[in-house]
Amino acid sequence: MRVAIVSTVYYYLSHAQHIGDRFLIGYPLAGRWHKPDVKVVSLYVDQKPKGDQSEERAREFGFTVYPTIAETLRCGGPKLACDAVLIIGEHGDYPLNAKGQKLYPRHEFFKQCVEVFEQDGRAVPIYNDKHLSYSFEKAKWMVEASKRLKFPMLAGSSLPVTWRLPDVEMPAGAQVVEAVMVGEGGPDIMGFHALEAMQCMLERRAGGETGVRTVETLEGDAVWAAAREGKWSAELQGSALSRSDTPQGLTLQDGRTQDLMKPGVLQKLVAKPLACRIEYRDGTRATLLMLNGAIKDFNFAARLKGHARPLSTQFLLTPVPNVTYSACLVSKIEEMLTTGRAPYPVERTLLTSGLTEACLTSLAEHKRIDTPHLNVQYRPPAASQHMRA
Amino acid sequence: MLLRRRDLLTTAALAPAALISHAAPARPKIAAVVTEYWHFSHAQHIVDRFLEGYGWNGEHHMPPMDLVSLYVDQKPKNDLSAERAQRFPAMKLCPTIAEALTLGGSKLAVDGVVLVGEHGNYPKTPKGQVMYPRYRLWQEIVKVFKSSGRVVPVFNDKHLSWNWEWAKDMYDTSRAMKIPFLAGSSLPVTWRTPSVEFPANAQPEEAVCVGYGGVDSYDFHGLESLQCMVERRKGGESGVRWLQAYRGDQFWDALREGVWPADLMTAALCRSHTLKPAREGFNDIFPTLDDMKRMVKNPVAYRYEHADGLKSTMILMTGLVEDFNFAARLEGRKDPFSTQLYLPMPPARTSLANFFSPLVNHMERMFLTGKPPYPIERTLLTTGLTAAGVDSLYEQGKRLETPHLSIAYKAPVESTYWRS
Repeated sequence: MRVAIVSTVYYYLSHAQHIGDRFLIGYPLAGRWHKPDVKVVSLYVDQKPKGDQSEERAREFGFTVYPTIAETLRCGGPKLACDAVLIIGEHGDYPLNAKGQKLYPRHEFFKQCVEVFEQDGRAVPIYNDKHLSYSFEKAKWMVEASKRLKFPMLAGSSLPVTWRLPDVEMPAGAQVVEAVMVGEGGPDIMGFHALEAMQCMLERRAGGETGVRTVETLEGDAVWAAAREGKWSAELQGSALSRSDTPQGLTLQDGRTQDLMKPGVLQKLVAKPLACRIEYRDGTRATLLMLNGAIKDFNFAARLKGHARPLSTQFLLTPVPNVTYSACLVSKIEEMLTTGRAPYPVERTLLTSGLTEACLTSLAEHKRIDTPHLNVQYRPPAASQHMRA
Repeated sequence: MLLRRRDLLTTAALAPAALISHAAPARPKIAAVVTEYWHFSHAQHIVDRFLEGYGWNGEHHMPPMDLVSLYVDQKPKNDLSAERAQRFPAMKLCPTIAEALTLGGSKLAVDGVVLVGEHGNYPKTPKGQVMYPRYRLWQEIVKVFKSSGRVVPVFNDKHLSWNWEWAKDMYDTSRAMKIPFLAGSSLPVTWRTPSVEFPANAQPEEAVCVGYGGVDSYDFHGLESLQCMVERRKGGESGVRWLQAYRGDQFWDALREGVWPADLMTAALCRSHTLKPAREGFNDIFPTLDDMKRMVKNPVAYRYEHADGLKSTMILMTGLVEDFNFAARLEGRKDPFSTQLYLPMPPARTSLANFFSPLVNHMERMFLTGKPPYPIERTLLTTGLTAAGVDSLYEQGKRLETPHLSIAYKAPVESTYWRS
């Protein structure tokens, strides 16, 4: 299995490095050190800032860094010369658009791969790290290309596949009344990782995923007002928060535990709250709360019909530098490489990419927006996909 | 699972007349007897959870009991007990343990005692053990039990004592006086990644725990990690026959000679989330033996044989890992059974030491039901193993026969680690 890597950058702790290296030196999996039966044959890096490791990796592991994506896929020869492509378009110096999205060239990279496939008459699986694009239209093009040329495609965040505390799964076919996800916004502002975590749970509901009807992003005092008005379940918000290992404020001061739902506590800690209220087409409601200043981890809670207590869990992000959660993700990429099928549908990430964009649009326009374009329909696999072994 | 009040009263009526086991009241009063109370001390993690509640089962849980008194043995500059007492006036700060238990009266006036004897400025033995005053604190508690003619459940944080004879005395007293007694580390009850239980009635040939930290402090956690797993094996725990400790060059020689199984050590290391990268520029890489030697300045291993032939090895690799990882070879299974006993550890990774939450929850269950959720014999054994490890190291790695550790017991089949 010959793999080409197409990345924005490759330096220590970039996504390309901690994903790519796992194919080079192996990774911990289910209590053993696993070396994938894969050879990295070529690498493209869009930018080589200080700390670039592309050349030293190429030297040590016997592959070549090519100046263009087409050459990378063809290993400098006339035709496609690899069996899979990893597109890792995270990190690097790219402009921001007006909505604050970093314009990572994932779609552009992908397009160039597709051009090689079309020219050379053969297509191979593609893994795209994180969201497909900052633009739903671009993301949609990518997914449609994979259908048209019939190649497997895997995408998304590591959150859906990392450890969970507790290790619970949304029951297949569950009747979800409502869900709340709490987390911290990183450089993405709007939590793509949080959306993926929430989506990997909700997609399992009865009827499968049929898309999103409206999105409304609130910020600042409007968030607290909406919470007071009961626009989303306080019980679910409290349930998700109760899963956090990282309450800030007084906990940092003297180590005490806190009930973050006590009146005034969150308001004091979170200077710039964001709430993204999502209304799915089947009526399911979900709310993403970005509570920077209150917590630093990702926690989910959902009310299911017929269940007395909410289902809740923390998506565990294991520490830097090992970030073993990326090993969980690489095992999924490997699964696609060995089986020829994506373990979970790329449509999940099509939807979450679109949701990220829509949440930011709603934020920019200060109003609820209709999202008819987000009529993304898919069914997840019945088996759990997160790390449990 | 709560017993109904009348069940408990019935049980109490059957207890021997001399010392009546308490019938747990609807809302128990709990006394805390601690060495020191400051940010990140064990007393702070534990007592705060009684006072403020904690996240449990997807909600903020307030223990259905009242922490009514607190004794603090030492109060350094960063003491928090005064601040806590101010915010929780129902908790009386007591100058003596007797007063904490009698609330100023003449008889035992609480329904449970939490003894946290970790941290504090206490002298060291010639072997390097910190002489935490757990035994002294326990004796003061027992004095009140005796004079009151009544006992209540006691939780002891971590090992019973640095001193084996005293630990044994604590255990013997608890048996004689029928004191419901719970003890030990948070490792047995914390999360696991993966969330797996050691199969009941399994037949392990070898078991290994790879962790970190110092002798007499963190070795105990490694031993409890091992014990909470292997005690579930077929036949139950049969006790330990001998123990031999290794450190420094002896450790590397033993590793090379295969004194303990390298494959289990590897399996355990592969469960770590904190395997220190051996090469610059790599974030997650399996170390070579030379890498390990370079990174681990003070490796320690305690290897010991149980009466039924099981061999266990507790390994400390400070500098290589910062977590506790278990692996065992089970008869009839090709691949090792392995998991990490996951501690969400502040301050680097979290702000709370939430692995104290399941520990406190188990204490609550005992205070409400009168029954320890897991046997005290586990911690009696690991206390003895810790002392034997210290002794063996002190004697340059001599193999020590441990007839005093022929402690046999059966573990509950029901899992007691954090899964909900």
